[in-house]
Amino acid sequence: MTDAIVIDRVTKHFQKRSKRNESTTLKSELVRILKGQRKVVEPATHIEALKGVDLRVPKGSTMGIVGRNGSGKSTLLKLVTGIYAPTSGSITVNGRISALLELGAGFHPDFTGRENIMINGIILGMSRAEVKSRVDEIIAFAELGDFIDEPVRTYSSGMFMRLAFAVATHVDPEILIIDEILSVGDEHFGRKSSAKMNEFRQSGKTILFVTHSLSMIETWCDSAVWIDGGRTRMVGDPRQVVAAYRQAISMAEAESERVGHSALSAPGLALPQVEAPPPVEVIASPVHVTEVRLRDAVGAQPSAFTADGACEVFIDVTVDEPARCDASVEIATVAGVSLFRTQFAAGELSAGAQTLRLSLPRLGLGEGAHVVTATVWSGELPPKALSRTLVVAPNPTATGLIRPEHAWSLEPRATVSEPPPAVKLTAEA
Amino acid sequence: MIRNLQELYQYRALLWALSLRELKARYRASVLGFLWTFLNPTLSMAVYGLVFGVIMDNAPQRYPFYLFCGLLPWIFFSSSVLGGTTSVSDRKDLLTKVRFPAQVLPAYVVLTNLINFTLSLPLLFLLGIFYSDVPSWHLVFVPVLALLQTLFTLSITYLLSALNVAFRDLQHIMANIMQLLFFLTPVLWEVSSVKGVERFGLSMSAAEVQQLIVMSNPIAALMTAWRDVLFTHKVPDWQPLAVVAGVTLIILWISTSVFERRREEFAELV
Repeated sequence: MTDAIVIDRVTKHFQKRSKRNESTTLKSELVRILKGQRKVVEPATHIEALKGVDLRVPKGSTMGIVGRNGSGKSTLLKLVTGIYAPTSGSITVNGRISALLELGAGFHPDFTGRENIMINGIILGMSRAEVKSRVDEIIAFAELGDFIDEPVRTYSSGMFMRLAFAVATHVDPEILIIDEILSVGDEHFGRKSSAKMNEFRQSGKTILFVTHSLSMIETWCDSAVWIDGGRTRMVGDPRQVVAAYRQAISMAEAESERVGHSALSAPGLALPQVEAPPPVEVIASPVHVTEVRLRDAVGAQPSAFTADGACEVFIDVTVDEPARCDASVEIATVAGVSLFRTQFAAGELSAGAQTLRLSLPRLGLGEGAHVVTATVWSGELPPKALSRTLVVAPNPTATGLIRPEHAWSLEPRATVSEPPPAVKLTAEA
Repeated sequence: MIRNLQELYQYRALLWALSLRELKARYRASVLGFLWTFLNPTLSMAVYGLVFGVIMDNAPQRYPFYLFCGLLPWIFFSSSVLGGTTSVSDRKDLLTKVRFPAQVLPAYVVLTNLINFTLSLPLLFLLGIFYSDVPSWHLVFVPVLALLQTLFTLSITYLLSALNVAFRDLQHIMANIMQLLFFLTPVLWEVSSVKGVERFGLSMSAAEVQQLIVMSNPIAALMTAWRDVLFTHKVPDWQPLAVVAGVTLIILWISTSVFERRREEFAELV
């Protein structure tokens, strides 16, 4: 299998505009030349956005990019797209490329949706005939109704994005570059865009995309890359990359709480290394989390758990030397809202491999992806954590983040104060 | 240079779509819409006709017609250059969000103005008929002159648009330079009316000065040629036009190489 994109030791530097601006008028430049002054050699006022990135994206695979704000993800996408040229290194792209970096490039507010489809399609690299043959498909996909013949300036921002997304996904590229735009439109349109993306994947197209939705990386991607501080930090299985990334983030957060300054405050700064212990740590933790396994009632690992079914959390730990240990399990939304946290004093653990088990006879969570984080620590020593994604299957009878045991009944008016209900309906598992 | 023009041909659909949109967008919100493309020059012709035909009636014979034979090509040139200078630096939306062939930007500004110019030519002939002047067979030179002027304008525009990305004050300087150039170019006046110079130790006959004006300023050569074809109905002198063609090739070669060298920075600097 050949590679669709080969990125080889790529670096990218940007000039700092604030300093340069003062000296880049033609007038001052002419005055300088007339006065016979030499060009002042500016000290290094450039920003190293990328310090060395190596990456191979195999043809037909979907690769997700994770990393903090300012770590160079978008710069990398712009380099692959060809908007920027690399300062050093090389980028080889095999195939027709389409980039969804920002939607609606070149849309003119005074023109109708239909007219903008034509111009935007041509800007995105389609020929006039190609746009013409796809225009009905695009209009059908955008679902704008009669608004398609109204000027774009009358559109709501959601409608604008839907039209732009519809055009961009109908370019029919071999390689698709996407930057954080799948959250377009309402829920219905979101599902449609997801379906469109799936169609892209199944038809063997290469997709490279940036997202902050880690569950998306885990469910969509064949591989993932973590860009940190302008370098490739980790490439590989999406679950492993996401877990390592989560761990580094929670370590950085824990550290900033303890030391008082935040490793997260400066954008683009590298996150602390997970493997190497932070310098303030005098004694390394004697206990480590090696794996977190999520199982259902029969011990299987389903792709989605049912809300009323059981969930077992197995935490595999290794203990270097006997120590009193505590453990916790937290379930949070993908956005980081804590839904449930429980702590367990495990007592004295003997050296070697151990497994802690948390039984949830009834999960009681709403549908969607959740993050299960298991943390183990000993006394005041730094905690060790590992996260896994828990997907709960949709359930048509209820919505919301949680799903307590519940029952509906119809009470006769006279007996409203009587406690025993006439009919009892239990939620079905 | 050849590669640049080849790419331009390759992107002709984009070029054409952008120009058409520009033309349509200009009068989109107005009631008369596209009619303004014709109405604008008509009204200004009427104004000049009033000023020089009625108020200042000591002006030369058929002066408004004479004026417009030069003014229309001049407007084509100057709006292309002024619009083209900011064509790259103003399009951050296109350059930083999609992979976009930057040379299309100055080219489509020139093309838009060329279309505008072409559309205003029939009005010029109408004006001529009003002054009982019927177009002659010399019109065959119109496409040749238009092509030459388009290439010359394109070469200047490439250079200025690339430079304006780094030196933003160029656009303001250009506005002044164009005004100066307007008066140095035989648009309002006629080359043959220029007299000899006998001062500052210079001694030049009228013919020599006229020769200097036409030979040193490509735009003056073009304006003179336009006037020969449209107003005087004679075959234009080929020497000044040959000079223009040569200068165009040289500038085009320089400006495409400057443009190619700088285009990688455009997305970062705009």
